[in-house]
Amino acid sequence: MATTTTIDVSTPESIQTTLRKIAEEENDIDTNLENLLSKQSLIESKMGAICYFLGTLNTVVADTKKLSTQISHTANLAESVSAKVRSVDLARSRASECQQRVHDLIDLQLCSQGVLKAIEEEDYEKGSALIGRFLSIDQNVLQRTAGDVGSSGSVTSVSDAVRTLENATEKMRKLVVIRFDEAVNKDDLASVERFLKLFPLLGIHYDGIEKFGKYICTKLAIKSEKELRTSLDIAKSENRLPVAFADTLTTLLENFARVIEVNKPIIEAHYGSGYLIILAILLQNECDSEVKNVVLEFNKNRRINDLIQQIKEYNRATGGNMPSLSQYQKQSVNADKPQPKDIDPIIVELTIMHSRVELYFRFLRRKVKLDIDASNVEDVEKERQTQRLNSLLNNSGLSRQMQELLSNYLLLERHFMEESVNKAITLDTFEVGQQCSSMVDDVFYILRKCIRRSLTTQSVNGLCAVINNTASCLYNFINALKVPLKNGYPSGYTDLAYSAIQSAVQHGKLQSSDSEKARSNFINRLNNADMSTEFLETLWETIEQDIKNTFPTLSVTEQRIVDSCISELRTVRDTLKACVNFGMTQLRSSAVKPRLNPWIDQFLNYSHILSEEELADYEAGETFIQTLIVQLDGFLSQFKNVLTPRNFDAFVSILATDTTARLERAIKKTSFNRLGGLILDQEIRALSSYLTGVTSWSVRDKMTRLTQIATILNLEKVDELTEYWGPENENETPSWRLTPQEVRILLALRIDFRMDDIKRIKL
Amino acid sequence: MEDYKFLFKIVLVGNAGVGKTCLVRRFTQGLFPPGQGATIGVDFMIKTVEVEGEKIKLQIWDTAGQERFRSITQSYYRSAHALILVYDISCQPTFDCLPDWLREIQEYANSKVLKILVGNKTDRDDREIPTQIGEEFAKQHDMYFLETSAKEAENVERLFYEIAAELIDQARNKDGANVNKTTTDSIGLGNFGTKATQNSCCSSFSSNTSQSTNENNNSRNNT
Ligand SMILES: Nc1nc2c(ncn2[C@@H]2O[C@H](COP(=O)(O)OP(=O)(O)O)[C@@H](O)[C@H]2O)c(=O)[nH]1
Ligand SMILES: [Mg+2]
Repeated sequence: MATTTTIDVSTPESIQTTLRKIAEEENDIDTNLENLLSKQSLIESKMGAICYFLGTLNTVVADTKKLSTQISHTANLAESVSAKVRSVDLARSRASECQQRVHDLIDLQLCSQGVLKAIEEEDYEKGSALIGRFLSIDQNVLQRTAGDVGSSGSVTSVSDAVRTLENATEKMRKLVVIRFDEAVNKDDLASVERFLKLFPLLGIHYDGIEKFGKYICTKLAIKSEKELRTSLDIAKSENRLPVAFADTLTTLLENFARVIEVNKPIIEAHYGSGYLIILAILLQNECDSEVKNVVLEFNKNRRINDLIQQIKEYNRATGGNMPSLSQYQKQSVNADKPQPKDIDPIIVELTIMHSRVELYFRFLRRKVKLDIDASNVEDVEKERQTQRLNSLLNNSGLSRQMQELLSNYLLLERHFMEESVNKAITLDTFEVGQQCSSMVDDVFYILRKCIRRSLTTQSVNGLCAVINNTASCLYNFINALKVPLKNGYPSGYTDLAYSAIQSAVQHGKLQSSDSEKARSNFINRLNNADMSTEFLETLWETIEQDIKNTFPTLSVTEQRIVDSCISELRTVRDTLKACVNFGMTQLRSSAVKPRLNPWIDQFLNYSHILSEEELADYEAGETFIQTLIVQLDGFLSQFKNVLTPRNFDAFVSILATDTTARLERAIKKTSFNRLGGLILDQEIRALSSYLTGVTSWSVRDKMTRLTQIATILNLEKVDELTEYWGPENENETPSWRLTPQEVRILLALRIDFRMDDIKRIKL
Repeated sequence: MEDYKFLFKIVLVGNAGVGKTCLVRRFTQGLFPPGQGATIGVDFMIKTVEVEGEKIKLQIWDTAGQERFRSITQSYYRSAHALILVYDISCQPTFDCLPDWLREIQEYANSKVLKILVGNKTDRDDREIPTQIGEEFAKQHDMYFLETSAKEAENVERLFYEIAAELIDQARNKDGANVNKTTTDSIGLGNFGTKATQNSCCSSFSSNTSQSTNENNNSRNNT
């Protein structure tokens, strides 16, 4: 490209030249531009080419479409081939159907020829088998065949044969029924079973099962009547009198279960599946009335109705809730209510009876359900039969009986539990050297026994009700524990007015021993409450395990009900804990505070402004802290062995809290110099190490404030504090519990610190 | 753990056939069950509701009405926070049995339990117990009163929501009196030393209109 390197504008000529040159350059540029523009058409043509190729692509699409049409053609072809195959199949199945018809016709002839002879010869098996074959031929097809054959005019024997066989069926049905009834009348079991098998061949399944069921029922009725009559004698001879009726009921239900067990395979073999429900329903009617008799006999013999009546009246009189202790003591005089030891065996018998029925129902459900599921019918029908089974199980007389047994059981069990617990409370004894009295062991033994027994009923509802009753019972038990706790700990008396007591003792010792008794009573209840929380936790842990073992497959709802009932016991535990805490606060206000405060206030009598000389004297003599520790130790040792370990720890915790708080108060009323601060630090360390020694938990936390106070008062100089104060120290020492405000006040207790320094320090 | 502020136990009692199970189903599942069998012993449903911005878990115990289940059902009374006593407004005998039920409640339930009398089946046109009679009976015996239809879903949500609201109030009053606030997830009546102060009146229950509009919204959401 041309460039004007030198522009000479000195003369007009040169300007002209330059102008020309510039014009030329402009021309050049124009040409260049045109050049470039001319390329545009090239690019456009290329673009055109691309568009053209796009057109080609369209053909590809068309080709593809063609291909897919061909494929679908092929598919159609294949379909039509397979349709042909299908029609070949159809033809073949028609052929075999035809063959079947021919067979049927041949058989029909044979059957009709044989059946009359069989009847004549009283060969019921053969006759029934022939009829069974006849009935197995599709009767509609048979009618049509008879028509077809008949119209061709060749053989008339088809409809003849059908007629013969129909008549023979009628006849045979009557005969079999007659023979069956004869066998029943003669009580000929072999013949009963022989003819039982023929009913299904003759197409009268239901009649067969019904007749058989009735026969079994009469037999069972006779048997159970005898058993019931002799049950008491047998029980006596076998030494099982207390469970005589449970035994009778067991035998009775076993009889029914055996009938199902033994006949299920027979019925399934000859009748097919799905017929057991009919037998079960028939048997259940009989079972209901027999069980009713046993239960009636049981109720009469064990005086159940009287007992229930008495308990109900008693409950109504006491408002349903357990009477309070004093009430109980009054009422225990009148013995007009069933005694726990008397109803104990009856409760056991009831649980056995209930569990037997429960197990019988489970057995029945399993067997019949299996049979229904195996039957060859539509799902809707199976569902309907299952409904029948459920209604049999839920609405039968037996299930009502069972519910009534459970109801009576629960009423008696509740009475047993409440009365036994009451007794345990009334007969509570406390042995010297024990921390708890007898009632804790006794009460939990009873509760455990009742819950375990409820499990043996095999009823979730029963179990849950007993757990609920246990919770109620425990609330009453807690009330019994609470009364002495509410009255407070009477120690203040003996300790604070020692001399007054001394004189009272001289005048007849009464008050001292009374107060002593109340005191140990209080401690004992506090221990009882603590021990009970532990026992209660153990109780529900073991019953949770027992429940898992007894009911391995609970439904979701059942599990939730059980869990919810058990969680009630948790609520009771919390109430017990609150009870312990309440007792502790009582102990604190009447035993701890009144004694502790004067001991600690002694601090104020020791000067903490000392010279070196005085320091030596101080250390040589009896120091404040030594005295305090001796006093605390004496005080704690009174409680060490009488309180349960947990209660003792709680007690020490209270003591530590109160001691530190009171001591802090005293410190804040005292002035210190350098050596006084030193002594304080030693004193706090001694106290801390003493308290650490007496408990199993760490008292460090309780001592934190005091330790920090001692640190501050033991400083050499005010600004030394910055070494301790500040976030960088927090890893080594616990964070400061004191506010900057408090720190300044504490620093001001040091008479040798200047106010200005204290104010200046940054916190 | 599930997140809820309060757990309340509500127990329904009353003669067999008055519609207890239907009321519970209507409330917990939003349906009117066709011909289910009679309840055996107790049944148990849970529904979490929100009242005054608080999540409340309601444990609803449906009981069998027949005498032979009484010793099972009674055992649930003591821990109940609320007892719903149901009768059938079209069946005089179910109303006549109410005093027996009250005696039983008196005997076994906590004396501070919230009691609600419910006349069910208002959809029926063969009413035998006029509303006023039910109301008076409730007033006499210190109970709240409400008429419902489990079939038409009338007042069912309202019943349970108002119980929840009332129980929250009671629990709050109790909390106020109680220094120890740590037991937030369940309140046990009859706990040591603290008991809710009973505010017993029939008025607040039936005059709470804002609650019932709320309920209509809810029932629409459910169906
Ligand atoms: N018309 C009408 N029928 C009801 C209502 N509630 C329940 N039922 C019917 O009353 C019968 C008994 O109901 P159920 O809930 O089993 O009573 P429960 O024994 O108290 O539990 C059933 O047939 C229900 O269909 C209702 O609100 N209106
Ligand atoms: Mg029901």
